[in-house]
Amino acid sequence: MSTLVAAAPGVYVREAGAEVLKSARTPQFIIPTLILPPAFYALFALGMGNGDIDTARRTLATFGVFAVMGPALFGFGANVAGERESGQLELKRLSPMPAGAHIAAKLAATIVVSVIAFSIIYALAIFAGVDLSLLQWTLLGGVHLISVLPFALIGLGFGYRLGQKGAIAIANIIFLAMAVMGGLWMPVAVLPEVIQTIAWALPSYHLGELALMAAGQSDAAHLWLHAVPLVLLTCAAAVFAWTGQGRHGA
Amino acid sequence: MPPSPILARLTKVAKSYSGKCVLKGFDFALEAGSVVALLGPNGAGKSTVAGVMTGRLIADAGSVCLFDRDPRHPEARARMGVMFQAAGLPEALTVAETIDLHAGYFRRRLKTTEILDQAGLSALAKRRCDRLSGGEQRRVHFALAIAGAPDVLVLDEPTTGFDPDSRRAMWRLVRQKADAGAAVLLATHHMDEADALADRIVVIADGRIIADGPPAAIKAKVAGSTIRIRTALSLAHMQILPGAATVTQRGADAVILTTNPRATLEALFRADPLLTGLEVSSASLEEALADIIAKTMKEAA
Repeated sequence: MSTLVAAAPGVYVREAGAEVLKSARTPQFIIPTLILPPAFYALFALGMGNGDIDTARRTLATFGVFAVMGPALFGFGANVAGERESGQLELKRLSPMPAGAHIAAKLAATIVVSVIAFSIIYALAIFAGVDLSLLQWTLLGGVHLISVLPFALIGLGFGYRLGQKGAIAIANIIFLAMAVMGGLWMPVAVLPEVIQTIAWALPSYHLGELALMAAGQSDAAHLWLHAVPLVLLTCAAAVFAWTGQGRHGA
Repeated sequence: MPPSPILARLTKVAKSYSGKCVLKGFDFALEAGSVVALLGPNGAGKSTVAGVMTGRLIADAGSVCLFDRDPRHPEARARMGVMFQAAGLPEALTVAETIDLHAGYFRRRLKTTEILDQAGLSALAKRRCDRLSGGEQRRVHFALAIAGAPDVLVLDEPTTGFDPDSRRAMWRLVRQKADAGAAVLLATHHMDEADALADRIVVIADGRIIADGPPAAIKAKVAGSTIRIRTALSLAHMQILPGAATVTQRGADAVILTTNPRATLEALFRADPLLTGLEVSSASLEEALADIIAKTMKEAA
């Protein structure tokens, strides 16, 4: 075995660094993903809730999921589509770069942007007087981190299949549909019955419910009711992403 | 001098896209330390040969060896540099960042400053890739191709969109790489590029090799002069004149490509003493290329 084959040192770290740098330098990506969710949270929960701590606490859980959706769907969907379309992915695939390095780096960058996005919402919540226990904060942060995965996989699946413009359009539709129908802006219970049914097929709904449990806003006895569908939906998203992979190239 | 080792070999390779056969029974070898130009018109199959050799495309039949391996083997990839036609760059990264990131994939890499210098990009190191001109972007792609100090360099139309000075500068860079021992596959549809750069020219058309040899031999194979006239003679008649290779109608004029202008002219005057508008010029390389291709296609038909 030649020494040329072993992965060059630090490939993963440098690839992730480059992805973070690319995000940070793309204002049309970073501004909406970092500003929109906290702005909505401030408006819906804090402004319209008239300082009601219960509302602020409940919506903190669901808006955290909302904040993660943007970077995951757009960062993977639109960016992967663009890089594939312009031949950048092909060039990487023909290099000795380890096969998973690019996706791992994108995931790392998405996590960094997501953490910043929901941290701003946490700061707003704390400022508004929301007080959770350390355990609750930890669980909530955990749920919000996990939220990256299903949305990143869905975005990746579309990124492999569609052109950049198509992927952006789809990401926008999914983004809004998941937010509204998954009960991230207002509880699913106040939505029409048909949407309440559809919500069961949306990872955003289950993540929102799990986040509510983490924040002590919902009965943890229902944990499996949402954890199991979430795992199944994430697996389906993984299959969707994996099968899209072979489609690029000529 | 011992023969240079063969670094890449295609044996009886076939490749079709959606039912259309692009390569059929294609045999090809690439030796270390030389530039081989794959020359042919658009759609001749040049990019497909480059794609199959680099493992970007999978051949339908035949075998492809790069360093005696499958081109998709990590070791083959570690020793290869590629520059394809349609390729973008990360918009938000600078030239130096882009090159450094790519070079980092290779164990045996050149230093970023070295790459910038060799590709003539030192002055643009800090510029973002989305602020580069088309020619500058091609130079960055060349920089990425040489980043891992490759033993095989595959360049598909590397000078598209270049001004004449940049073209010559690129040719010098490619020549240096071959002189340093790399095997270079240059796919181009410019005869002058192949002539200036290549040690060997492989002319392909319709997925088959129709001529293979050093530039001088390829040029000698083709007709030397064009004769342009206005005449009452039929094209079929002119086709059988001594020395005539191909005859085409251009407006009111007939254009004869000939290997023996003197014999052709004498016969022309005997056949049609009233011919007018005579012009004789030496054939351009592009015409010569078109001639070889037309002749071979006719023989095959």
